[in-house]
Amino acid sequence: MTDAVSLAVDLGRGLRLRTPVLVASGTFGYGFDAPAADRASLGAIITKGTTPQARPGNDPVRIAEVPSGMLNAELNISCPNVANGLQFGVDAQLAAQVTDAVRQASSLPLIVKLTPNVTDIVAIGRAVQSAGADAVSAVNTFVGMAIDVRRRRPILSRGSGGLSGPAIKPLALYAVWQLAEQLSIPVIAIGGIMTADDALEFLLAGAAAVQLGTVNYLRPQAAREVVEGIAGYIEQRGYTRLSQLSLRPAKVMAGV
Amino acid sequence: MTVALQSGRVLERTVPMRDAVELRVHDPQAAREVRPGQFFQIGVDAPHTLLRRPYSAAWADPERGDLGFIFNVVGAGSDWLARLDDGDEIDLLGPLGRGFDLDGDRPAICVAGGLGVAVFPGVVAALLARRRPITMFIGARTAAQLLPARRFAGADVRAATDDGSAGYRGPVTDLLLRGGVYELFACGPTPMLQALVQRAPVLGISLGSIQIALETPMGCGLGTCLGCAVPGRGGGYLLSCQHGPCVRADRLDWSRMTDAFHD
Repeated sequence: MTDAVSLAVDLGRGLRLRTPVLVASGTFGYGFDAPAADRASLGAIITKGTTPQARPGNDPVRIAEVPSGMLNAELNISCPNVANGLQFGVDAQLAAQVTDAVRQASSLPLIVKLTPNVTDIVAIGRAVQSAGADAVSAVNTFVGMAIDVRRRRPILSRGSGGLSGPAIKPLALYAVWQLAEQLSIPVIAIGGIMTADDALEFLLAGAAAVQLGTVNYLRPQAAREVVEGIAGYIEQRGYTRLSQLSLRPAKVMAGV
Repeated sequence: MTVALQSGRVLERTVPMRDAVELRVHDPQAAREVRPGQFFQIGVDAPHTLLRRPYSAAWADPERGDLGFIFNVVGAGSDWLARLDDGDEIDLLGPLGRGFDLDGDRPAICVAGGLGVAVFPGVVAALLARRRPITMFIGARTAAQLLPARRFAGADVRAATDDGSAGYRGPVTDLLLRGGVYELFACGPTPMLQALVQRAPVLGISLGSIQIALETPMGCGLGTCLGCAVPGRGGGYLLSCQHGPCVRADRLDWSRMTDAFHD
């Protein structure tokens, strides 16, 4: 990566990252095990959700491979389930309330992760934007399932799980494309990104940054390859900044 | 832990027993570093597959820089691996996980069921190098599915088959005899492991003297995806890839151990 190309990105409220490549929740641990060269390519590490009390997790079987994708029982519908089981990631009003409550409680940068398991993801995006989110990340996993035909039962112990991997990339890309058009806050893209070209598709669609998830399970060095690929693409086209990539009308992103 | 991504080369593909494939791989670093019971996440490039496949090294020869993998063809990933041949590249991530603790001084009894035998050529070689007396009990459905006894040269090998076509007719765990001060090393289907654990008090052996190589599906093999959880004693879960795959039987909660992964 040459110094002429700046990959820096500002996600709002002073959250300025060195590169636009992040690693998604639950796919990179806490980063301590990663080689320094791989860590240095990262804009940020998104940790798994944390809870005050330790939680043991789901019963096995927790994961299943499906065509070009992976089902994982550690599904979280973008926000933890509340006591009555209502999932507030799928309701614009509830999503806004949660965002507002967090906004009131903290002056730190606030990124809200959106579930794609909704009729209109843009409506949810608008709601959390109005409630004070600094950025959104999209998308979380799609609810899916797989059934063992021979044993006649769902493969995952919980029946369903969250689908990730290349299988969801076109779906995620369209969600990001819509969100980038309709929202004024940065959109962080997630969904089946395996290569630099995949990441570029999302950046062209208007994403400010990308998260790598499932690919970290396959190629621990993927983040570095993607960052190098993005830098090479920008350089080759004579751009100097990441924001020049977007096919979306220029938006004012402070500091970039 | 820094995970090594290695590129090995397949030297030879053989059929060590019916339905199984053995790959001899040249990868000096992997052969040098791997300990008996550790595994590699092997990259597969079959259409529409995604995840790496976890396989224990069957054996390693650090001097030649070779190591072996023995597996059954059960799906798209293993089918793809089984088609690799002399000269093909193979993508190994590892060695990963914890191997067996082989440094005790009691006589060793190894118990293998089905493809669980795949980890034992290297285990037996390492035990022999430590001059420990070894009895190797192997169970299979039928004689043709037994890994030949010559693969365990130096050990006292006894076989059991479901159909009686070789050795004792019945479960391999029946071969275990009461009494004697020894240490057990086991790998096989969950019912076999359950039987072993149930018989332990009768045999006069503590669960802490039984080491098991777990076989679970894995996503990442790196402790991150949490997909290989097995019930731990006292609640919660252990991760097969990180706390195992080789664990002492007293660390597991056998009442919650399901047979989700085998027929």
